[in-house]
Amino acid sequence: MPLDEEAVAEIYREHGPMLRRVVWRATNDANRVEDIVQEVILRVWKQAPQADNLRAYLITTARHLIVDQHRAAGRRPQEATLTEIAERDSALDQALDQVLVEEALGRLQDNHRDVVRCLYYQRLSVAEASLRLGVPEGTVKSRAYYAVRNLRVILDEMGVTR
Amino acid sequence: MTTGPDDLHVLLGAYVLGGLSDDDHRAYSEHLRTCTQCQAELGQVSGLPRLLDLAGPEGGLHLVAPPPGAPIPLMKEPDDERVSTLLTEVGRRRRRRRTLASVLGAAAAVALFAGGAWLGPSILRATTPEPPTTHVTASAPGSAASVDVALVTRGWGTQLDLECSGLPTDSPLTLWVVDNYGKEYAAASWRAGGSGYTKLTGSTSVPTYEIKSVEVRTSMGKVVASART
Ligand SMILES: [Zn+2]
Repeated sequence: MPLDEEAVAEIYREHGPMLRRVVWRATNDANRVEDIVQEVILRVWKQAPQADNLRAYLITTARHLIVDQHRAAGRRPQEATLTEIAERDSALDQALDQVLVEEALGRLQDNHRDVVRCLYYQRLSVAEASLRLGVPEGTVKSRAYYAVRNLRVILDEMGVTR
Repeated sequence: MTTGPDDLHVLLGAYVLGGLSDDDHRAYSEHLRTCTQCQAELGQVSGLPRLLDLAGPEGGLHLVAPPPGAPIPLMKEPDDERVSTLLTEVGRRRRRRRTLASVLGAAAAVALFAGGAWLGPSILRATTPEPPTTHVTASAPGSAASVDVALVTRGWGTQLDLECSGLPTDSPLTLWVVDNYGKEYAAASWRAGGSGYTKLTGSTSVPTYEIKSVEVRTSMGKVVASART
């Protein structure tokens, strides 16, 4: 079935680098990254090769795989209370969301990212950002608008819905 | 600088990110009370600050310059060799073999999982078409149950070809398939022969990719072998 092979190769080429970054930063284990990435792609290819939102599907699958491994590597279930398991999983979820937000920021257009950096992280005013970036205030405002809209779209694509 | 009424929608961005002058902030807050378009858009993006905070005070790796000389091990583009490894695996998954590890009971099965018996990716390391086989032997003397299972993808679900040895002969045995949602399905049941060696084929409607683990249990529910796929 050559279609399968083309589909897998395409998913890998298009989403492999992003997945690798996400998995690496979520697991901190360079040895497992390639294995997890390939497993994710194989599973997604089997389940939903034509999924509308492939990126979200890939990331959700990676999340499940990492959580499963995380659990498997942890203590025996009977020794961990449900609360502990829930806390551990939510910490992992948060770590993954962090990675995904960073990834989303990386996918923003440069001039949109600059505006997010100035206005949000550096707490500059629109006027200060205008000076810093050397563009009119109106441009800062419109870039801020599109930065916010695009960031939401990128995060939705990644399955970060909150 | 002040903004005319036609430009007010655009202030949403700086309203969410911060940085509006007092005048603009007041003007946009006023606008927001009556503009349903902005109300709807704000509803979609109002969660962003909390997410942006997750990336740390400086916004994470894409917003701060990387330290000089820091290795970026994962930025490499995927090479053709990796793609072909993947494609080899695609072919192989039409007939996958898994070896179930032998264990003495449920507790031991958990310990086995904890030991990292995550067989999926280890398959990917193989460079030859011959899938790797892992045999785990129980520590107790005299028990060497070993179950080799091949998961074959079928249009109707999954066929499971089993080769078992060293299984207990004093109880009927059942092959259970556990799917990704934790639901369990019996896929075969049999009684091991005198030698403990059995070859049989089970089946389940659960698709191969949804099978999370496979277990052989006695009629009392004792797990004699288990493996994750
Ligand atoms: Zn408006």
